[in-house]
Amino acid sequence: MHDASVLLHGLNLAYALATLALTTLGLAIIFGLLGVMNMAHGEFVMLGAYSAVAVQQWGLPLIAAAPLAMAVCGVLGYVVERWLIRPLYARPFDTLLATWALAMLLRKLVEAVFGREYRNVESSLAAPMSVFGSQYPIYRLALIALAIVVMTGLYFWYRKSAAGLRVRAMTANPVLAQALGINTQKLASQAFVIGVVLAGLSGVLLAPLIRIEPGIGVDYLLDAFFVLVVGGLGTIGGLFGGVGIIGGLQALISSVAGQTSGYAVVLMLSILFLWLKPDGLFSRR
Amino acid sequence: MDRRNFIQATLAATAASAMPPAFAAGPLKVAVMIPQSGPAGLFGPSSKACAELAAATLNSRGGVLGRKVELLFGDAGLAPAEAGQTALRLWKGQKAEAVIGMHDSAVRGALVGLFKGQVPYFYTPVYEGGECAKGTYVKGETPQQQLEPVIPWLAAERKPTKWYLIGNDYIWGRNTNAAAKGYIEKTGAKVVGDEYVPFTVDNFDSSLARIRDSGADAVLVSLVGGAAVTFNKAFASFGLADKALRLGTLLEENTLAGIGLTNARNLYSSSGYFANIDTPAATAFAAEYSKRNGANAPALNGLAESTFEGFLMLEALAKKANSLDVPKMDAVSEGTTYQGPRGTATIKARHVVQDIYVADVTDRGFRVVKTFSNVDPGQTCKV
Amino acid sequence: MAFFRDGKSAALLAALLIGLPFATNDFVAYQIALFLIYGIAAQGVALCWGRLGFLPLGHALFFGLGAYIFGGTLKAAQADSLWYLLLPLAIAAPALLAYVIARLIFARSSRSGPYFSLITLALAMLGFLAAQQWRELTGGFNGMTNIPDIPGTERYETLFWLVAACAVVTTFALACLARRPIGVVWEAVSQNEERLQLLGYATDRIKANAFAFSALLASIAGALFSAHQGIVTPQAMGFLLSTEFVIWAAVGGKASALGPLLGATVVGFASAELREQFQYWEVAVAIMFIGIVLFMPNGVAGLLKRKNGERFAERSAAPLDRAPAKTIGGVTLSMDGVKTSKGGVTILDGLSLSLKGPGIRCVIGPNGAGKTSSFNVITGHLPLLAGNIRLNEQSIGGLPAWRVARMGIGRKMQVPSVFSDLTVRENLGLAVWAGRANVRDLLRMTTLGWRTVLLDSILNQFSALETQQNTLAGSLAQGHRQALELAMTLLPEPNLVLLDEPCAGLSPSETHHMIHAIKSLVQQIDAAALLIEHDISAVNAIGGEVFVLHQGRLLERGALAHIQSSTAVRAVYAGRRK
Repeated sequence: MHDASVLLHGLNLAYALATLALTTLGLAIIFGLLGVMNMAHGEFVMLGAYSAVAVQQWGLPLIAAAPLAMAVCGVLGYVVERWLIRPLYARPFDTLLATWALAMLLRKLVEAVFGREYRNVESSLAAPMSVFGSQYPIYRLALIALAIVVMTGLYFWYRKSAAGLRVRAMTANPVLAQALGINTQKLASQAFVIGVVLAGLSGVLLAPLIRIEPGIGVDYLLDAFFVLVVGGLGTIGGLFGGVGIIGGLQALISSVAGQTSGYAVVLMLSILFLWLKPDGLFSRR
Repeated sequence: MDRRNFIQATLAATAASAMPPAFAAGPLKVAVMIPQSGPAGLFGPSSKACAELAAATLNSRGGVLGRKVELLFGDAGLAPAEAGQTALRLWKGQKAEAVIGMHDSAVRGALVGLFKGQVPYFYTPVYEGGECAKGTYVKGETPQQQLEPVIPWLAAERKPTKWYLIGNDYIWGRNTNAAAKGYIEKTGAKVVGDEYVPFTVDNFDSSLARIRDSGADAVLVSLVGGAAVTFNKAFASFGLADKALRLGTLLEENTLAGIGLTNARNLYSSSGYFANIDTPAATAFAAEYSKRNGANAPALNGLAESTFEGFLMLEALAKKANSLDVPKMDAVSEGTTYQGPRGTATIKARHVVQDIYVADVTDRGFRVVKTFSNVDPGQTCKV
Repeated sequence: MAFFRDGKSAALLAALLIGLPFATNDFVAYQIALFLIYGIAAQGVALCWGRLGFLPLGHALFFGLGAYIFGGTLKAAQADSLWYLLLPLAIAAPALLAYVIARLIFARSSRSGPYFSLITLALAMLGFLAAQQWRELTGGFNGMTNIPDIPGTERYETLFWLVAACAVVTTFALACLARRPIGVVWEAVSQNEERLQLLGYATDRIKANAFAFSALLASIAGALFSAHQGIVTPQAMGFLLSTEFVIWAAVGGKASALGPLLGATVVGFASAELREQFQYWEVAVAIMFIGIVLFMPNGVAGLLKRKNGERFAERSAAPLDRAPAKTIGGVTLSMDGVKTSKGGVTILDGLSLSLKGPGIRCVIGPNGAGKTSSFNVITGHLPLLAGNIRLNEQSIGGLPAWRVARMGIGRKMQVPSVFSDLTVRENLGLAVWAGRANVRDLLRMTTLGWRTVLLDSILNQFSALETQQNTLAGSLAQGHRQALELAMTLLPEPNLVLLDEPCAGLSPSETHHMIHAIKSLVQQIDAAALLIEHDISAVNAIGGEVFVLHQGRLLERGALAHIQSSTAVRAVYAGRRK
């Protein structure tokens, strides 16, 4: 019985890390690689979750939410990068404010269309399955597995593929990369769109497991920021390290002293890093 | 009377009864504070529908004190200070003369501090007891009604030995669970865990792990609306539904719909009202509600129905005091009765003596398994 | 007389507010008072953001702290009126906290950028959590309730007048400060903090003081809020309210004193009224906010106001007799085995050079020799990894730039570094006040008219600076900008002047004029100078000792003729003719 308890705690931890990694990934690309503080990151996750709500309202299977979220986030991401981010690339404050304004806009739009009440999305896979004597929801196990696959794939792509090399060149030295014929403008635009699409997809994946209301974006944004601040920007090691430290610390403290204390400790750690080591642990700088 | 006069008189009488009753003076504006956002937003649409039904019902009877009832809605799902500002706008800005409140206790605290007994305030939903402010009349069930008779009954039925208490971290969650502790220990069972989560939390993994580790076989769930939905769904998905029974005092039809019937095994709800209660008054009300709101009506439930009852309380007290003046209403409140969907209700210490039902869940929804009649609210407010 | 101009916006505000309860009713006045309160806090945000250039994203922390502490004190005072004495402390406490926080953060790096904003945001969230958890102190989620009225006021009737009075006072105070020398200093911080530090201003303290003042505004607002509402909940300290302050400041106008107040009142009040009625109202507000960020960075007030509200004072009749202390016998600089590197590349590799007494020495050498870097390591822009640097026997390695400046070292940068959005007069003023003006002087209008004997000489040498007093420094031609920066470097009358290519980009005649001016002015203040130069004819015209740097070390020193005949130097410059 004791083993089952340990297993359950372990699975819960894996789940917490998996969701944190998936929801942070989009911002890791946009903030970590492009250096853009996208304060609307959480709202793209929220849009993904609402895609699932919409799809369920129309009576379609949950899987249809993925292409819907990709379309919505993709188009929105392209428009935003072209007309909001690009003019403000050299002004980090104004980017912060402009994307915050965008976040507000998206929140209020969704409120006006869907209302402020909490929504839920059903999934048949939420039923429990027996895992070494413990009961655990199938959906969560699938999510953990998916997160591992995505992160492994990402690691190999970034480190070993030609496209990954081009991206690394661009972030290390954009001027030189451009001189070598890499179309940095286009690459940046693509990276931004991919970043927000990944955020939207993570929202679709999480939809059956979370409560859905227009204001959930802020929490995902802040968690992602803290992961990147502590872990460091622009490296895979930073993303993994940040997720491990922030997610692990939060889970540990929450299981002992309650969720509020867990969150408070994460906040304090982030403040310390922002103050003393703003480049994080594994920065590319 | 010859035939022509008779026909004329009958026609006149028919004409008179076909016309709507004439209203005296200006309309009576009633502020209705119901949650339209936040965890309790779940109860908003049904409460609004019941408030509108109540206004129509009262107006068909000639209104309150002969004045037509007009509704002013405000969102009570905001944080207490913001909800207070909304209520203030309705009271001082739009001149509401009575307030019906169907919202959480934190907002009630803010509103009581705001009104200071200057306007009659009817608080209708289930709550933790202890509200004795002047001018505040409480329809809602108290722990002395929902838990004091129910926990011993459940103890005899299902014989749980270890209880785990979980609630939202504010006055209702904490005080309800504190009262429950006393009743549980009197049955000889043990309380093995007691925790509180803020409204912002929607991931109960660590709480569920603790419940599992504690070996509890009964859980008292004092969570509100959306939080209750997420918790109960996760509870079942971790396979705990068959390991421990659940009892909730705020588990109504909308919450149940969110939880899903498959996740509601061994789930008990204790409440003063369920939509499928079998009494003549209740069935007539349910029929009236569906007729007015159609097939896609928001699910009728105890909280929404309590809003309706709040209006009945207002009507009864205003009539008895012949005024909306708080001191006059306070003076006549003790012992006043009215008829509603829940039957005859008697006001005692500004609360209401009422029947309590305990229901479990079948594949067709709630099923009442036990009724306690005329349970005393157990409050010591000095009138 | 000055008060008249200062008081324009405050008077306008006062007129509007006095008329308000009579034009509408007491309840509307009560509601407007709430947004005036928020507006005062927004004014605090605008002060930091619009004037000094750093954005506090968590200002509700101080607002909420002010509200809780003041509200709690009012409640305690009902039992024991001795508590009333603590009310001023209740308002001051959050400002003190803000000062400590800002000093800690700004001391680490002068990057006021987005990281500071994120730290304030995280602190506000911590405050929110703390307010929820410490139920015994704050009432938790339910809040601190039943806060009584401020004695002498009644919540729904007379409190409005107190709030209105506070709003008028804060608007007046902010307008006053903006037009005074301290306002110039603040704007300089946002435009070119490095230049300000090189003049000897301790910018981290300036920013911390301003932040504390802005927190004081938020705290006053919070105190009024607690009495106005009668209840304080954790939302008063939270993230969402903080962002509302930023939005109102942005929309109303962050560079204006009255703007944020109007932003809060108009946008906030309208939102509260219209939010329920028009489903898409908040969407419209969000779109407006995006528009403001993209197209109207100074908000509505920015459209209405002229760019530079006049900061004008008569030039004082007589020059100041205040001057910084002079070293007897002239200054001594010695650099001994200095090493520094950046990004893994060694830049200075054991540089040893020394000078004593007044006079101009030139520093020459091929590109990459480390000439500018030697200046950088003196003024703290590069780390001192080995060796030491002594000024008059005092070690100055590793000190921050402003400390080095206060020890009597002035520096002119390779790319002319001035305050582009301030006028020439204001640029010069900042240099004149450096090391001479104390806090009280910076609050006086007359300080704007200070002049010194040296200033008169400089304006004689560079008449363009005199005729273009009111031109923005950023729109000066290159030659005039070099002259302006030279003037600013010399006006604090440093003992050692570091000049980095003062003739870059100048025509031959301008170069000749510049060299002549440098010689004359440096002699006037009896200073030592090191001058980096590429133009050998200019070096010749100066005629002092020459240091040749090569690969981070001193290659040769002596008179120009000696240098030109040195074989070592020739080998390095092989092929070059000049």
